[in-house]
Formats: sequence, structure tokens, C-alpha cells
Amino acid sequence: MSTQLSVYADAQAEATGAVSAVVASLPLSLAPAPFAPDGAGAPDIVAVAGHAGWTDRASTAIRNGAKGVVVSAPVAEGPAGLASVADAAAAVVVLDLHWAGNVALASTSKNVHGVIAGALKDAVLVDSVAIAAPGADPLRPLTDQLAVLVQCGMDVHNLRMVQRNGNVYTVAGVLAGGAPVALQGILTSALPATASVSILTTAGRADVVLPDPAAAWPAEVRAVTADGATTLPTLYESSHRTSWSRVHSHISSGTAANDLAQFTAVMALLNQLTS
Amino acid sequence: MSSQAQQSPALLGVGILGAGPVTQAIHLPSLARLGDILEVRHIMDVDPAVAESVAGRVGARFSTSMDELLADPAVDIVAICSPHQFHAPQVIAACRAGKKAVLCEKPFAMNGEEAAAISAVSAETRVPIIVGAMHTFDPGWLAAEEAWGGLPEQVHTVRSSIVLPPNPRFEDFATEIVGRVPVPGRDSNDPEALKAMLTGGVMGLAIHDLPLVRRFTPDFAAVEVLHAETVSPFGYVISLRAGDVTIELRAAMNGTWEPCWTFEAIGDDASLDIDFTPSYVHAGSATARIRTAGRTVTLGPFGHNGYEGEWRKLAELAGGTGQPPSAETLIHDLEFALAIAEAAAGRVDAGAPHDAAAEQEVNA
Repeated sequence: MSTQLSVYADAQAEATGAVSAVVASLPLSLAPAPFAPDGAGAPDIVAVAGHAGWTDRASTAIRNGAKGVVVSAPVAEGPAGLASVADAAAAVVVLDLHWAGNVALASTSKNVHGVIAGALKDAVLVDSVAIAAPGADPLRPLTDQLAVLVQCGMDVHNLRMVQRNGNVYTVAGVLAGGAPVALQGILTSALPATASVSILTTAGRADVVLPDPAAAWPAEVRAVTADGATTLPTLYESSHRTSWSRVHSHISSGTAANDLAQFTAVMALLNQLTS
Repeated sequence: MSSQAQQSPALLGVGILGAGPVTQAIHLPSLARLGDILEVRHIMDVDPAVAESVAGRVGARFSTSMDELLADPAVDIVAICSPHQFHAPQVIAACRAGKKAVLCEKPFAMNGEEAAAISAVSAETRVPIIVGAMHTFDPGWLAAEEAWGGLPEQVHTVRSSIVLPPNPRFEDFATEIVGRVPVPGRDSNDPEALKAMLTGGVMGLAIHDLPLVRRFTPDFAAVEVLHAETVSPFGYVISLRAGDVTIELRAAMNGTWEPCWTFEAIGDDASLDIDFTPSYVHAGSATARIRTAGRTVTLGPFGHNGYEGEWRKLAELAGGTGQPPSAETLIHDLEFALAIAEAAAGRVDAGAPHDAAAEQEVNA
């Protein structure tokens, strides 16, 4: 029997993370908390919107008694302070990342990570494209795109901005083995807001396409080797729901999440671009 | 030297200069599909054994001399499939020989001066010329061009991505090659080899898509190469800017069995993406998709590819119908490709960290 945990989301967190819909889809595990987070009887989990200042808001929620926080769409921000607060309180911090949070890239998806790791050992080129709606900060998808690379286990070096304007950015880097890494972010409403990663190898490729979490579109994972092409099984779950399932699992089992460590790696990649 | 039987006066006669893998695997199979309008009547190659063997397949005369082929009255259309450095003088000679149309494999010249000389001769002799950038003749591309409306005005990003197996995988399923020259080994640490790979990649591979790229880059003359590096064993990553348009070129010729050749032009609220079929084999046309939010229009696939499209166009032009591409278009396409190839190679000399910039002749 699942332990039901209470959830609080303010309006911004609700808008960013579709929290009500997710909680409704996990009715045995989660339930809306009927009270404010800073009052008596803190909710078990607090949803935090990921706009600037999210690390402070998440720290505050933990200090107020939350066992866990879920941060939706976090922007680039150093998480060291929040990590200390969470460690001291034995609280769980889960980052609901736009694409990297998809269940296809969860640590439990051994088959996907096996395909990616196998391709990376033999990579000749990594080409990644992130699509976002116009009107956003053109660099906004970059943090999410880099989070995908980190979640894929890529060791990327020498990242540098090749070009950027109001519609697009291009970033170049290199894998530890020397293969080029080419990243592009494109703002358009004509295409679904996906992130793709294509790892070309000496004899094939691996492709991962991660969907917009606005709906439970499945990710696509496909591998081509000398033996043929394989499409991995797909799961129809948005990254929002995957994140909330994870926070529940971590709190219930008493295990730690590594989301902030992963985000620290993302920040290190971003720092390569600005250093 | 002749092995040709009776030729039909109702057909247009084709002569081909250069009988290497491109002629064998691309043009002869394409022409074999168009036997009701075109007939191969003369094959020239500097290697007499190759010339005889290839001519023998199609019952054509053969020779080792360009002059002999151009003097052959049975030849109405000349296709120039020789090494790149011979293209310009041979195009000019074919025009002066009074032929009805000329196909020049890409690139049709090695510099702007050669291109201008070709243009002048074409204007003087009124012999139409087309360049073998096959994607511009692909019915999938042509259908998209008819349907895309105002898309070019809003495009801000163009991507060409080419993943191909080594050419023999397709050549050997299009024909049986004679006289194949092995691909030389490459030293990935040699700056000259890196330059050659970038130049060869642009002029032999990207060049199929660069006329398409140019349709979406009104400021093509202002093109800047911002990043260029090579991909092992052969390929490139090149980032460019032309005015307000961002252009990304990717290619990898690895050992895969699965080709993937895509072209994308993306604007704020509309986009085009095209999947091209691989070179050499006749696997039908590209499939194009024009997208706006929530709506996708799919065009194709059609029954023939751009190579066959080239020959259909040549037959039209030689028959006195159809409109050839303007000399200005051909020159601008060439200048665009040359500028990118030169600047990409220049990134090697610039010594940009992890960037790489005798041309390596690559065809696809």
C-alpha cells in the first residue's frame, strides 16, 4: 500500500508544473494539502516554480518542514546552498526538468542508458536540437538541453557559443574521446517542443527524442547497429508525473535523490560557456 | 570506335564525358529509365578500357577524346562527369560545339572567373546548361517549392544533415562498377588533410543542398563561416550565418547501413523539412512536410528522384521547351559553395581550438 503524501503548490508552481493534474493521476500516492506551507502542519511535499530564486524558495519550504520539494523547470542557479539545507533536513529535492526528467532517461531505464552508453563509446558525432516556442529567452532551452546531456551521461568538454540571436543558438563542444558535439536551440511554434540527441557512431547511431511535458507524449529511442535497427519500448508519461513519482518513491523509501548533483554538473557546463 | 546499332531519330542522343562511378551508377541507370526520350550514343573516358566497357553496356560509341565526342552529330546533349578541374573548359567546348543542352556535374566551375566565362559562352551560343545538384530537381523539393507560400520570408534557421554509408553500398546496388579508384587513407592530424576533407565535403556533399539553402538566405553573399570541424572518418560540422539566417551543415559518412539525408528550413510559425532518398539508387523522390502549429502538409514521395529529374529537364530543354536556370542562379550557387568551402578550410589555418577547417573529391 502506497503511503499518501500531501502536496502544496502555489499558483506559479501549479502553472509551471501542472501539479493538480499530476496529483490527480497519482491518487493513492499524493493528495492536495488543504493548508499553506508556512502554517502549522506543513505539507509533505511542496511544489516550487523554477524561475529565478527557486533555490531560496525550495530551502524555505524545507526549513518549514517539507519532506520533499519538486522544482518545476528550474533556471540556471547554483544549487549548493539548497543541497546543504536538504542534507541537513534529510529532505528530498527533485527537479522536474523539461526533457531530462522524462521517464526514458530515468536511472531505472537501463535499456535506454545501455543504448546511449554503447553509442557514446563509439561516437563520431553528437548532434542535439532543442525546440522551444518563440517569445521565450532564446537561451532558456539551453539549460534544459545541457541537462539532457548530463542525464545521458555525456562527458562534454570545451563548450563554446558559436552564435546566438533572438531565434537560435549554436554551441560546440567535444566528447572526452574527441568526437564533436553540436548543440542547437531553435525557437519556433511550427514544431513540437522536443529535444533530440543523435549520437552517430562508426557503424550506426542512437537517437533519443524527448517530448514536451505538456502532454504524456512518449519519448522515442532508437538504435541502429550493424545488426539492424531497434526501437525501444515507449512509456506514455510526462516528465511532470515521472518527477512526482520519484519524489514519492524517495521519501517513502528514505533514499536520496541525486538531482542537485546532476544540476551542479549542468551548471558546470554552463560555466564553460561563460568562462 | 562503335558498337552502336541503329539509332532512333525520335530520341535525343546523349554523350557523356567521363565514365567513372558517377556515370556508371547515376547517369546510365537514370537514362535507362528514360529510354523513350533519351538514348546514350557516345561515351568518352581517358581510360580506353573503361570507355569501351561502359559504352558497351548501352550500345554506344566510345572514345578517349572530348573532341571526338563533341564532333559526333548523333550527340544532342552532353553530360560532363569528368574530374572537377575539367568541368569549365568542357562545358564551354560543348556549348561551342553547338549541342542542344549541357549537364555539368557539380561543381560546374572551380572559381568565379570560370563561372563567368561559362555564363558568357552560354549566353552567346544559347545552349542551356544545368548543374547536377540533384536535389534541386527532386520532385519532392519542387512540390514543396510550389506549396510553401511565404515561408522563405520568415525562415531564420536552415539545417542540412547528411548521414550516408560509404558510396559503394549504393553504387553496387545501382550498377556493377568498373574502374573504381580506392578512397585514399586520411591522416586526421594533418591540417592539409583536414582542409581537404572540409573542402571536399562542401563541394562534393553539401553542394547538393546549398542551392536549397540559398533559397532561404537572401543575404547569401554575406555568408560567414563561424565554426568548422571534421567528423571521422569523413564528414563535417559547419556553422554559418548569412544575414539573419543561421545555417547548420552536418555530414557523416560512417559505416552505417541506414542513410538519413534531411533538410530543414524553420521560421517563427512555419517550417519545411524534407527527407531525401540516398544517392545513386532510384528509390523515388524526397518526402517534404510543410508545418505550421497543429497542421502538417506532406508532399510526396513521387516515383522518381532528382537524377532522373535532371535528365527529364535536359530532354525538355534540348527539345526547345522548358526554362533553364538562369546563369546568375548558377553563378550565385557556385559562389555560395566556394565561399563556404574556402572559409571552412580557413578555420584550420585560423587554428581555432578544436576547429578544423589538394580538395578531396567526394560525390554522393
